[in-house]
Parts: sequence; structure tokens; C-alpha cells
Amino acid sequence: MADSDEDFVLSSSGDDRPKARGAGGGGGGGGGAAGSSRRSTRKSKRADGAPAPGATKREKWEDIQRSWDNVVEGADGSIAGTVIGLLEATKRKRLLRDTTPIQRGIIRHLVLILDLSSAMLEKDLRPTRFLLTLRYARDFVTEYFEQNPISQLSIIGMHDGLALRISDMGGNPADHLTALQEKAFTVEPKGASSLQNALEMGRAELFHTPTHGTREILLIFGALSSSDPGDIHDTINSLIEDRIQVRIVGLAAQVAVCRELVMKTNDGDDSAYGVILDEGHYRELMMAATTPPVTKTEEKSVPSLLMMGFPSRTVEKHESLCSCHSNLTKGGYICPRCTAKVCFLPTECPCCGLTLILSTHLARSYHHLFPLKNWVEVPWSEAHTSTHCWSCQSPFPTNQSQTSSIKIKIRNPSTTAATATASRSNGATTTSTAPKNDHQQQQQQPPQPPTQRYACTDCKTHFCIDCDIFTHESLHNCPGCQSLSEERVKARANMWPPSIGDGTADAAGEPTSSSMRTQVAEATKMLENSKIAPGSSMEVEN
Amino acid sequence: MDKVDGTEHYNFKAPADLATLQVIILDTNPLAWATFEKSSSLSFPAALSQLLIFANAHLAFSQSNRCAVIANHIDGVHFLSPADPGTDHRDPGEADLTPEDLKEIANQNASKYRVFRLLEDEVRASYRRLIKNTTPEAVMACPNSSYLAGALSAALTYINRICFGGTGGRSSGVPGDEKSKVNSAGGKVDETGRTMHAKILVVSVTPDPANQYIPVMNSIFAAQRLKVPIDVCKLRDSTVFLQQAADATGGVYMEPEHPQGLIQYLMMGFLPDHLARQSLILPTKVDVDFRAACFCHKKVLDIGFVCSVCLSIFCEPPQGAVCSTCQVKLDVTSLENIGKPVVLPPKKKKKKKAIDSLPESGVASAAESPVPTE
Ligand SMILES: [Zn+2]
Ligand SMILES: [Zn+2]
Ligand SMILES: [Zn+2]
Ligand SMILES: [Zn+2]
Ligand SMILES: [Zn+2]
Ligand SMILES: [Zn+2]
Repeated sequence: MADSDEDFVLSSSGDDRPKARGAGGGGGGGGGAAGSSRRSTRKSKRADGAPAPGATKREKWEDIQRSWDNVVEGADGSIAGTVIGLLEATKRKRLLRDTTPIQRGIIRHLVLILDLSSAMLEKDLRPTRFLLTLRYARDFVTEYFEQNPISQLSIIGMHDGLALRISDMGGNPADHLTALQEKAFTVEPKGASSLQNALEMGRAELFHTPTHGTREILLIFGALSSSDPGDIHDTINSLIEDRIQVRIVGLAAQVAVCRELVMKTNDGDDSAYGVILDEGHYRELMMAATTPPVTKTEEKSVPSLLMMGFPSRTVEKHESLCSCHSNLTKGGYICPRCTAKVCFLPTECPCCGLTLILSTHLARSYHHLFPLKNWVEVPWSEAHTSTHCWSCQSPFPTNQSQTSSIKIKIRNPSTTAATATASRSNGATTTSTAPKNDHQQQQQQPPQPPTQRYACTDCKTHFCIDCDIFTHESLHNCPGCQSLSEERVKARANMWPPSIGDGTADAAGEPTSSSMRTQVAEATKMLENSKIAPGSSMEVEN
Repeated sequence: MDKVDGTEHYNFKAPADLATLQVIILDTNPLAWATFEKSSSLSFPAALSQLLIFANAHLAFSQSNRCAVIANHIDGVHFLSPADPGTDHRDPGEADLTPEDLKEIANQNASKYRVFRLLEDEVRASYRRLIKNTTPEAVMACPNSSYLAGALSAALTYINRICFGGTGGRSSGVPGDEKSKVNSAGGKVDETGRTMHAKILVVSVTPDPANQYIPVMNSIFAAQRLKVPIDVCKLRDSTVFLQQAADATGGVYMEPEHPQGLIQYLMMGFLPDHLARQSLILPTKVDVDFRAACFCHKKVLDIGFVCSVCLSIFCEPPQGAVCSTCQVKLDVTSLENIGKPVVLPPKKKKKKKAIDSLPESGVASAAESPVPTE
């Protein structure tokens, strides 16, 4: 990555920075454990005692990656191909993920703990850590409810050694946004932060949540120490007992007790603990928590059958009070069990306690359960079948280096074979394209420019990188599969019967054999009719 | 152009200046149109002419407005305009014409605004190509096929490319990033990084593709994310999918009463761009059907049971408390007292009986479920 050497320069000349960002500078949060644990809480000394695994390894800063080493001239002497290749590789690196349908905790209960201690006044993030965190928290709330419409959230702040309740467990994003605006933005970051107090309050919030949902805590930790009233390890143990998963985003450096906390509550997996590199990485780490967590094999939550109401919307002539806020509203949703009027969905009926949702809320979560498969890079040998992206119509590069690639094939057929296997394996595993680049460099071959085509493994349609990212991040459909063959669509949809059924529409549309003949005649006539003569007049008779 | 005189710096904040991309998704199922023509006396060529007038009106609003036409055909989705760059661009209809005819057409078109003519020619030529490759047998093989999800997906990826430069409408939210976006796009950009507004108009004559529920919903949510309204002009067979699409994305939903006057509906209802719409009361449907149907019998439900793992909807607890979709054993203890008289003494025996006596087919409605008589 190009940033790594920038960081290197920054940290060597960064005397004006109040705290050296030791852990972050090397390009990954993992390496800083040995250095940063000194600064961590007193109670984490036990963890400190273990010999750091990093001691035998080379230091992060010894391993400098120079971005210019990756650039190799193409056959025609230009580096454009490599540059495009690197750009696409970084774009795709984010994208490639495991897409086997896995069980995820769709109904979530999450406590967002924000650091509001004096450490948040640091200006290493623009404008300050505090303001940026609150801004991201606002985005997080919106995104969380967009991704998890039938989930609940609560927000807690760590302020002046205490835990500060910002919003209660609830499913209405508007409530949380107002609470953030009123209670968090007005707070002056002050004092120390207390992990234990905040975690205990979060635990209490999650205590009454039903067993079929997940219980999660997302902690934004700006400070490097925690002042706790008791032993934090007791709290960690009770978190494990209550099967609460903790994710932490560190703003300064890795802290040993945080790592321990994350490891212990996630079955020894510390991937949920990240230390930010910059503003963009901060947002990425925070937004990663909006994806429903994978359900671990050891059954953390008990699946159950939930009774839900699907209310119908009404519009009234005169205003009446809603039963949730006692506001005068003209429209709303009527609880099918007790006919109370609520103004916001999804919610729990304030009168009878029935969960009220729309079928669209359920539909929003379906793509988590059936993710779209990763697309594979198309080798030059198959690239000739397409000249443009199927769905956005942007042109693909033609094979200008056709001759050179043939030469490579002749000289060393194993390279192309390896490339082909590497790109094929992309679909099955989460191999990034980076190793492939290394491989090519070792061989000292002029690299082929990328084909910039990505193919769906099911329908074999070719798409560009932007469509690849857009379909996998936002759309969750393959435009090719959805518009080429009905059989394939059915194969996928069979797992999932449509919720708005209309056997009626199907039955009505089914042609009976008697009318078949007339219909063929009609269709022929229709086809003839629609052959409009070129240049026919555009005017419509009134 | 604005970049040269430096005015860009001053009017960059005003989103009003952004042009609009209109994507029209048109059903071209010949059979559906033939049946529709009989009941409404609106033929497909007439409808196409009126749609092209609508598209031209859109283009006339601003020089930088753009228009794309996508056909939802019996064998899949085809771009009519911009035409597939990979295919033969010649108009198959032109082969039958004499030089005199061609001359006359050229004379007719000489005074037409070039942008209009380009769009018209392209759409008509692509459409004729499409019809040429369609046989009556193929039409009969799939009389009601509709690729709504594919057409919406294609429209959205195209919008993503044209209006957002492929960024998916996600502003990174990092301070200082907006600036770089303005520079790279080389034009006006609003705060979400879009260079153009977009709207989709679906002109539909086919029924809901029931097997595409999830892909259609996914497309609707993606449109919501991109803030692209989906307008629906439903000429026949009112549909739930498109109602929900228009409702969720803030689009207009209309079922014209007098389809012959299609052009009036198009001009009055669908032409206003997003700025004009802010000050108009748009004709839209109020009572959208949001009720769910159970996965077991497709019965429309008010109250249903939902599997917490896969979110399948059932009209009654599934047999043996095992979800039929994901095969997970479900905990039904919290539901045990539901649907029974409140006064019933909670005896273990009776509960067991109630579960055992569920019929094999699972067709029993709430009314048929055993009610203790003793
Ligand atoms: Zn209310
Ligand atoms: Zn109620
Ligand atoms: Zn594309
Ligand atoms: Zn596909
Ligand atoms: Zn049912
Ligand atoms: Zn299930």
C-alpha cells in the first residue's frame, strides 16, 4: 500500500503529535501489542507477562513496502496497466469475502459505547476525535437500522469515569439520533474513561433481551487507560457468561486488556478488535459492525419462532392520537391484534406487546442470508467474448497487448496457467489478487494489463469493476442472472418462496391449450404490427 | 464549460444545477401487448411513439439531461438506448426501403432536433432488431415472462455508472474527501458524490414475476440507497411489487384509466424532475398492500410466525417446530399460550395433544385448530 511509507515519514517527524501512533503506523493493528501494553491499564499486567510473540519477528518498520517496487513496465514500456491493476486489486480486496450461505444473527441487540473522556479532545482526527466519533455514530445508527431493520440498539457514553446513558434499548433510529444530538453533542469530553462501568451498564441493558437475538457491544475506545472501580476480569467473565460479544475500535493504540476482552468474548478470535489508521479506516471498522455477525457453531442464541403482526397502513380524515407517542397524526399502522395505532414501524405494540413489522423489513435482511457469489477475474483468453460491461455499457479495454501476451504464453506457459488457477480460486476462497501480483513479480515477467472484466460464475456475464462492487455492496443481485434465464432464477428462488404470493396471477396467465392457437396467431400479428416503418411520423393523433 | 470561467466554485453548493438521467424500463412482451391492445385500443407502436415524445420532453428540459431505454423482453433484458455497442447497428428495417423512401425520411428528419432524432432512431432500430430475433414460438414458450428484477438491476448499475461515476453513492464521509471528488469528476457534484440525478420509469403490462421477489426487493432497496425514485405506469394487472417499489423509493404509481391518453399521464405525472416534485402533490397510491403472505400456503396474513434464523413467515407454528426453510429446530415455548382461550388452565397434557393433532398437510387454519370442549 502506498500509505505505508507516508506513515513512516509521519511518525519519524511527528514530534508535534501528542502521542505516537505506534501500533497503527506499521500498516496493521496486530503488531503493536508489545509496545502498547506498557501504556495499558494496570490490571492488564497479567497479560503483559506472557512473552510477546512479536519479539522474534522483524519489527514492522523494518519491513518497508515501497510502492514503486510493485510497478513493472509493460511490454510497451508504459505502466498504465500496472496502475490500473493495482487500483482494481485494492478495490477488490475489500470486496472478496466468504459468500457461502451462513447462519447469521439477523435479530440483533447491540450496545454502542462511545468514549467521551478527555482523550477524545485529541485533534489527530479532524476536526477532533470527539466530533468525528459522534458524526460516525450518527451514520452508524442509520446504517445499522438499514441493515438490521428488526434489531435494537442502545448507546452509552464513557464520561468522567462514569457510564453515561445516552439512549435506551430501542428499534427507532430517530430516537437514537435525537438522543445523540441532545445528550452526546452537548457533553464536554472530560476525565478518564471506565471500561468496567460502561461494560456493566451495557451488560445490564442486554440482560433482558430475548434469547433468540444476538447480544453485542461495540466499544469505541479513544483512551489508553481505564479507571475501574473493581476487577475488570470479573466483568469479562460475566460478559462471557451472558454470551455477549464485544467488538472494539481503538483510536490510539492497541491496549492489552481490550484485546483480551475481545478474544475472550469471541471464542479466542481477536479479529473484532481493530485500531484505526486514519479517518477512512475508522469508518470502515465502525461500519463493519453493521453486518450481522456469523452465528458460531456452539449455538450462542436459541432459534425460536416469533409471533409478529403485519399491520396495514391507514389514512384518516381527522387526526387522532398515536398510542406510541400520543401525538396527533393523520395516518399510521393499526395493530392487527388490538387495533392500537402506531406511527412508526418496526416497533412493539405499546398496548399488547406484539412485534409489528412490514414484510419489506424482513426482505431487507434476506441478502445477508443468501449473499451474492464473488465474481472472478476474466483471463485474456476469454476476454474476447465481450466488448463492454453488460450492465453499465462502459467499454472494456481491447487486447492491445495481444501479441505480447501470446509471447508470454510461448515462453512460459506455467505463468498463465498459474494466473488462471489463481483467478479461478478467487471464487471459492477469499484469496485476494495481491499474491498473484507477487507471483508475477517473482517471475520477472512484464505483467499483462488486467482485462478489467469480472464474470459471474453462474451466468458467465462480464461486468466492470464498478458494477462488481456496486452489485455486491448495494444491489445483491447479479443483473445477468436476473435477466438471462428463468430456470437459473428459479433454482435460486426455490430455496426462498416469494412472500407476496400470487398463485392467482400465475394461474390467470397460464394459457389454456384451447386458446393456444389463437394466441400464436395474435403473437404473430403483434410482431408484424410492431415492425414500425423507419422514420414513421412521431405525432400522435389527439 | 463552467470550469473555464471559474463559476464552478460558486455554484457547486447548489444541487439544483444537476441534470437528470431518465431510465425507461419498457415491457416489450408482444403477447401481453396484443392482449392489452384488445382491451384498451392502445397499440404498442402508439405507446412507443408517446414514450419517445415523453423522453424527448425530458431531453428538452436541459442540454445535459440524458435518457436510457431498457426493454424487458421475453428472453431477457436488452438496452434499446444506448444500444448494445457489441451488436450490429444497422437498422433491419432500412433494407426494405427504396432510395426514394430514404430521401423522404431524411427530408422529414432534417428539421428535427438532433438529440431527439438520435434517441428515436436508436430506440426504433434496436427495437426492430429485437423483434426480428423473436419468433412467435418463443413468445408462446414464455407468455408471461418478465425480467423485472434484471431490468431494475441493469438500470441501477447504469445509473451508478452515469450518475455516481461507479462509486455507489457512498460518500466516504471522511472530511476533505468531497473536494477530491469534485476535482476527479470534473463537474458539479452534490454532497453524496452524484453528478446527475436519476429516475426510473417502469411501463409495465406484465404481471408480477412471483419468483423474483427477493431480487426485486433487493433492487428496490438499492434504489432507495441511491435515492432514485422508481415511477410506475402500470397499464394492466395491478401489482404488489411495483406498488411497493414506488412507495419505498418515493416514486409515482399510476394505473391510467384511459390508456389511449398515455402521453397525458406521462407528461403530467412522470415528467417533473426531483426539484419540481418537491412543490407538487403527486398522484400516488396511498393504500399499499404491505401484508406478508405465509411461505407455506401463500395465505395473506395479519399475524404470522417468523423463524428467527431465516425469517421465513408461517401462518402457524410449523410441524414438529422445525422450520421448513432452514431445517432448524425452533423454540416454541414462548408461543404456547397463544391462540388459546386465556381462561384455559395450562395443563401439560392438553398442550401436547394440540401439537400432536396438527394435520399432516399443515393446512389447518386457526379456526380449525383443536379447541378444548371439556
Ligand atoms: Zn407515535
Ligand atoms: Zn397491539
Ligand atoms: Zn459496468
Ligand atoms: Zn450472474
Ligand atoms: Zn401457511
Ligand atoms: Zn428458518
